[in-house]
Order: sequence, then C-alpha cells, then structure tokens
Amino acid sequence: MMKIKFFFLSVLFFPQFLLAQSCNLTLTGIVLDKGTNIPLEYSTIFLKNLGQGTVSDKHGFFEIKNICAGEYHIQASHVGCHSEEYFIKLEQDTLFKIYLSHHSELLDEVVIHGSHEDNSTESSQTISRGAITEEGNKNLSDILGNISGVSVLRNGSGISKPVVHGLFGNRVAILNNGIAQSGQQWGSDHAPEIDPFVADHLSVVKGASALAYGGNSLGSVVLVETDNIQEDPHLHGEVNYTLQSNGWGHTLNSTIEKNGSWAAWRITGTLKRQGDNRTSNYFLTNTGKKENNLALQIEKQFHPKWKTDFYYSLFNTKIGILRGSHIGNLTDLETAIGRSEPFAIEDNFSYSIAAPKQQVTHHLVKMETKYLMDDEKIIKFKYGGQLNNREEFDIRRGEARTRPSLSLSLFSHHAEAAYNGLVGEKIFLKAGIQFDMVDNGNNPGTGVSPLIPNYRSYQTSTYWIVQNDQADKWLFEFGGRFSLKQLTVKRFTQSPPRELEIIGHLFQNYALSTGLRWEKNDFFKTNFNIGYLLRAPEVNELYSFGLHQGVSGIEEGNRNMDVEKSLKALLSVDFRIQNKFFVQALGYFQNVQDYIFLEPQKEFRLTIRGAFPVFLYKQTNANITGLDLLLKYEPKQNLNFILKYALVRGNDLTNDIGLINIPSDNILSSMTYTFKDGGKWKNNFLTINGRYVFQQTRIEESQDFLSPPDDYFLIGLQVGTNFEWQESSLKVSLRAENLMNTTYRDYLNRLRYFADENGINVSLNLNYRF
Amino acid sequence: MKNLKFIFIVNILFTVLFLNSCKDDDPIDMNDEEVITTLTYTLTPTSGDVVTLSFLDLDGDGGDDPIITGGILQSNMSYIGVLDLKNEAETPAESITEEIEEEALEHQFFFTATGANLTVGYADEDDNGNPLGLVTTLTTGDASSGTIQVVLRHEPDKSATGVQSGDITNAGGETDIEVTFDITLQ
Repeated sequence: MMKIKFFFLSVLFFPQFLLAQSCNLTLTGIVLDKGTNIPLEYSTIFLKNLGQGTVSDKHGFFEIKNICAGEYHIQASHVGCHSEEYFIKLEQDTLFKIYLSHHSELLDEVVIHGSHEDNSTESSQTISRGAITEEGNKNLSDILGNISGVSVLRNGSGISKPVVHGLFGNRVAILNNGIAQSGQQWGSDHAPEIDPFVADHLSVVKGASALAYGGNSLGSVVLVETDNIQEDPHLHGEVNYTLQSNGWGHTLNSTIEKNGSWAAWRITGTLKRQGDNRTSNYFLTNTGKKENNLALQIEKQFHPKWKTDFYYSLFNTKIGILRGSHIGNLTDLETAIGRSEPFAIEDNFSYSIAAPKQQVTHHLVKMETKYLMDDEKIIKFKYGGQLNNREEFDIRRGEARTRPSLSLSLFSHHAEAAYNGLVGEKIFLKAGIQFDMVDNGNNPGTGVSPLIPNYRSYQTSTYWIVQNDQADKWLFEFGGRFSLKQLTVKRFTQSPPRELEIIGHLFQNYALSTGLRWEKNDFFKTNFNIGYLLRAPEVNELYSFGLHQGVSGIEEGNRNMDVEKSLKALLSVDFRIQNKFFVQALGYFQNVQDYIFLEPQKEFRLTIRGAFPVFLYKQTNANITGLDLLLKYEPKQNLNFILKYALVRGNDLTNDIGLINIPSDNILSSMTYTFKDGGKWKNNFLTINGRYVFQQTRIEESQDFLSPPDDYFLIGLQVGTNFEWQESSLKVSLRAENLMNTTYRDYLNRLRYFADENGINVSLNLNYRF
Repeated sequence: MKNLKFIFIVNILFTVLFLNSCKDDDPIDMNDEEVITTLTYTLTPTSGDVVTLSFLDLDGDGGDDPIITGGILQSNMSYIGVLDLKNEAETPAESITEEIEEEALEHQFFFTATGANLTVGYADEDDNGNPLGLVTTLTTGDASSGTIQVVLRHEPDKSATGVQSGDITNAGGETDIEVTFDITLQ
C-alpha cells in the first residue's frame, strides 16, 4: 500500500519520472531530392512543437538527440524547394527518410508514387502542388503547358485543352482521380472540367499505349491526382488567394484536412471571378469567367489491409466568349480577319458575361476499395460516375434569346476490378477488367437541331501487364488490352419527313505494348516503349451534322468511319553530370493509319445566311514525329538555368501536306536565383523566364482561312518569399507575364482570326498553410 | 479468342443490367426554330407589273439547294420594295418579319448592287430613327444587268461610319441573311 502511495506522489510531483526513460530518443534521417536521389546539404529539419531543429550535412544526413516520445510535426526545408511537413509518432529511435523536390521539373509519376504497382517503363513528367497553387488562377491546361512537349489549344483565354505530342481532345485521356474525364471532348471550344486546386500533382504520361487507363487515348494520358490524406490527427490546410491584373481576376481556394478518429477527410473549395481580359491595345469584351468548385475526399481504413476511399467533386463554370468572334457566315469571317481590332469591343472593363457564353456543370463521384493481400498483392474495386451538363448560348432573336442553342447531358459510369501482385518470384502482374457506359442526351427546348445525336455506349475491356525487374537496373514490361464497344445512336433523319433512326455499331479494339527501362545508376536512365493500338471513332466523328456554332462551320461526320490504328515508339534518356547538369530527352515517332481529321472543303454551302465553310470528317494516314528536351544547369544550389524545347512534325501522308493544329516549335527558358534567408523570411527567390514560339510554317495557305501568325517572344518575371511562424507559413509571390506587353497571336488559339492575345498580366499570389 | 468470348458475355451481361436499370428515352425531334426558309422582296413600281425576287430553302441549311428567283425591272423607274421573311418549315408558317420589326433596334438590312444600275434607299426606321430596311425605295437607271445582294445583320453597330446610309463595311454584328439575286434592267 505504501509503495503505491509513494508511486502516486512521485507521479504527481515529478511527472518527468514516468517519461524520463523515453526522453533520450534519437531521430536520425536523410534528406534526398525526390527526382534525382541527390542528398540535400543544408536542409533545415525543424520539430515544430519543440521549436528545435538541425541542419543536414553534405550527405543529407541529420540527427536530433534527446527527444521524448510523442507526436511531432516535422518541417523540412531546403533552398529552392517547397517545404514539406511530416507527422510522426515517435516511440523509439527512428530513422526517417525525407524527400524534397529540389529538382521538381525532373520528377516523374513513378518517383512520386514509389510503389510497385505504379512502376512503369513509360516516361512521365509531373507538376507538384506548390507549382499548381502558384498558378491556380489559370486553367488546368495552362498549368500543364509548363511541361515540355505539352502545348495548349485555346478558344480565347478562358477555354483551353492540352495538346500532348501533337494530339488533343478525344485522343488524350484525362484521368481525374483515376477516372477518365467524360465531358464533351469533341469541340476545340470545350475545356476539361477540372479544378487544378483539387490536385496534389499533375502528370503527363507520354506513352505509346495506355493499357491500364480507361478513356480513349492514342498514347498519352494526363493524370490529375490527389495524394493520401496525411496521418496527422490535427486539422491542417491551406488558403490560396490570387489577384490578377489582367481581367481583375480573383481566385480564392481553401483546402482543409484532418485524419479524424472515424475517417480521414479533406475538403477543397475554389471560387474564381474574372472580368474582360485585355490585349496590349484593347479590352476583349465579354471574356469574363466565373467558377465555383468543390471537392470532398474521405478515406477510411477498416482494417490494416483494407482501405476505402470516396471522392466527390463539383465543377461549375460560366465563360464568356469574345463577342467579336461570334460570326454569322464566311463573309463575316473574312471581314473580321481583315480588321485591326475585333467588332463589338467596348472601351470599358466589365465583369458581365453575356451571350455568346458557355455554362458547364460537372459532377464526379468515385469510390475505391483496396484490399492488400500478402506479398504486395492488391485487389482493387473502383467505381466512377459522372454527370456533365453543358449549355452554350448564342446571340439569338426574340424569346429564344434566353435559351441555350446547345444543351447536352452526359452520364457516364465506370466500374473496374484490378489485381496487382507478384506471380512466382520475378514476374509482377497487373491485370484488370473495366466496364464503361456513356449516355449522351440533347435536352429539348433549344430550338436548334443538334450537332451531336443522342447516343449510348457500353464498353467492356480487359488488360494485363507483366513486368520483370532485374537487379533494380532493368525493368521489362509487356502488356495487352482488349475492348469491345457497343454504340447505339438515335437521331432524326435530316431530310423531310424526319423520322427516328436507330443505328448500332460494334467496335473491337486491342492494344499491345512493350517497354524497357534501364537504370544504369542514379546518373543515367533510359526508357524505350513501343505500342500498337486501335481507337474507335467517337460519335462526333461518325454523326456530327450541322452548324458547329462555336467554330462557325458546318461539320459532317461519316458513319462508315474505320478505327484508327496507331503505332508509336518512344525513346527517352535521362542523365546528369556531376549533379550540376541535367538532361531529359525524349524522341517519339507515331504512325496513324486512318487518322481522323476535319477536312475543310473547297466548296461552300449556300444558305439563306450566306455561304458557310464545310468541314467533313475524313481519314488519312499520318505520321507524327517529335522531340521534347529539358536541360537544367545548376552551378550552385541557389542558382539554376532551365531550358525546355519541344518540336513536333505532323504529316498527312495521303495528301502530302502538314497536319493542322500541330504546335510549332517552342523554347521555354528560365533562370532562378534564391537569395539568403533573412530572419523569418525564407526561400526568397527571383525567376526570369522567356518563351519563344516559332511561326508554324508547315501549313499550306489552302488549309486555313488565315496563314499562321508570326513568331513571338514573351518575358516573364516572378519574385517570392516564405514567411514562417511556429504553426503556419505564408508564401507570397508576385508574377508578371508578358512583361513587355507584346502584341501577338498564337497559332493554337482559334481567336487568332479575330483578336490579339492577352497583354501584360501581373498577379499576386498568397499561399497560407497551417 | 477465349478472351473475346468472355468479354462478349460480360458486355452483354452489363448491357442487360443497365438496360433494365435506366430508361433510354427516344429523343425529341428538335426543328431549327429560327431558320428563315423564305425571303421575298416584292418590288411595286409607280406604273407597270409587280416584280418578286425570292429565295426558298425549305429544308434548311443542309439537303437540297435553295431555289433563287431573280427578276427583270424597268429601267429609269421607281419601286417600293417590301421584304418578307418566313419560316415555312413550321406549320403554320412563322413570320420572321414580325420578329425583326419587334427588334428593329438590333437589325438592319443592307442592299448592294453590282453591275445593275440601281440604288436602294431606306423607307423605314427603328425607334431611334436609324434605318431598318424592311421597306425600301429602289430607283433604277439605264438598262444594265448584274446582281443585288440583300444582307440582314443582327446586332450591327448602327452608329458606325457609313452604316446609316447603307454602307455595310463598318456594321459588324452577325449575318442572319445573305442572298444574291440576278437582276436585269430593260
């Protein structure tokens, strides 16, 4: 009894007595660059709740002694990196590996995930969270445009879609959280409906054949991915705000997350408001934009081996389209082309959005459940449902004024079962079965006969990929995919009497791909991929009929269209010299038999509104060849030079002419200098960048209404700093784009016929993390 | 081939499953409500026969070619010209002329003669006193032949230079009608 009393007393008066035993723990670790595995010297490792820290030595090694057991928030930072936070429960001496992205432009998808199931021989490039939030006021596609080999196809600055290796739209699958984005991908005036703020990283897989991904890709895939929610039981998050001078745009985003006792959750919300953009000389009247987005992510671990997550996102946007770009017929287009500034330009800035405009709402629901069996074997079940509502408003007469000219609702369902695991000793197998259903309907009441008919499609696919890993140096991969697609189209015959017509199609598609990766050491890596795949024609390619108002042309599909057959080979080489000079080079060649494209016809269609250009979907054989190059030179840790160069050549072999909408050569270069930390102000940096875009000279005059615009050179500047408190940090950056207010037009922007590109834009970006 | 069979079965299975779970409604036929199928330009001279120029395209933009009827006018004569626009794809035919009268502020017709020796002047106006062009005066000169083009612009800038006197160059807006008739003056 006495003994117990004494014990209680001592606990009461000397609480350290109990814990004394565990207050001599040591936390050791190593800080490495994520992309290159280079040890990061002079990294700061800071235990936030203790206010105690240390600095890594030249091997990236650090040690913190005499700390008590408990929960810690560790912050790691390094010159030129976005600082990272970790949460650990310290119970014994611990060795901790910290990865920072010092060379963030060298990151790829495989490195980011680091797990066996994401291992691949395909080349990819990644944009990390820090860079996404810095440019969060832009569209997803514009952010992706920072990756070499990715260009952006636009319809004004509000609507943009990524062009990867010369292909876009239906041919580049975009996966939002593992679910193929299912919107109206057919028009160049339709942008992917994804808020970039939902992503923790964006990757572009520059592949030969997308075997494991749903969607209708001809090789390349864009991944919009969220990471797992941190294991931290406390509430954390960030608030981003951007003010941009061009269009006086405001972007406000907030993300909060917590690993609660019941489940881990994260909520992301974004609001964007932007008014008329301005070129160097005039306002682009009616180019404002409104966007409201929301995303919810819930992760629940039922059992150490059984994990389930739920994801919902809502994307809602209203985009104005330059009034002067809305034309009636060919004469209007010719008149517009000849003008120095567009029609219907007003002298005053405005936030109002009138017709022509687009309103789009996109819902995505995803559920995934993963069961980990022994030896890294994983079974996954995934479901993704999407609803896309698109309304496009034109300038109309009378009561039709308030009605949309195009109103489509697209439902899609994707269900998937996948298995990943070792078969025997050496072979890693990834296999799966996927089911897709798409239902597209024209909503009645538009008073315009629809360009795209109602349709429904069912697709079942299976894929398998085997990988063989040799001594961590060689990775060999071979895989195949087979799918069966059934398409039913319901439409009214064009000539009177109008009767309902139901047409069925059945497509069998397959893909085969093989690849090899050789990592000699950290200094040299090479990937080779070759793939053959078929892509079934989409509904727009088969059944478009009528006036595509957004682009003012009559478009007609061909229901006898054959599948596209693509053969693509890629070779990439990554190497570095003395941790100072880094090279990533990727060359590719793609041959597409029966390549589907819109061919402008020589004759015009005469209507009461005058003559209209006619575009027919045709097939040809095409070759696309290109090179993506990234060079980085870092003479000192706080100074680096980056040069990105992309080259694409597209040829129509049957007609012996260039393919249209192929990006011209472009060079992107930047220099970043990081200044010494001043007290609490850390990572003070200055970046100067230049972008040079060549003129597209491989197009003949007869292929377009207007020959491609001249080359241009733009200069940009960015300065930024981080202010850090005990529990939170604030990053402030100021960015100027088109600093010299250059007047230019871009070949990949449809508005090049009508107006100049945006003039100078200065934006202030605040990123507060807690 | 085994693979193929398996997929086929799975696909059918899913198809049946979904067919039962969601209704697949037949689409509703949507006519182009705003189509203008018919334009007639009726020219009544101070003496002599009435001349009617017409443009007929009953099946809209695609399909059959439009039927365009030109005319023979008397030389050195004054005509009163009246435009009538209809959508005859609907039953009963819808008058577009009325719609344009209601929205006169946002519409204007332009008349351009090429080769034919004639001039067209406005004989009506909108609420702001700017020309509209549903009613016009057409004055012919000496015998000649050529064409006359009738253009309807939606949302033109009526205050731009020359627009009020019928010059289309700076009008802007969007073309709703653009038809050309062969004309002979004799």
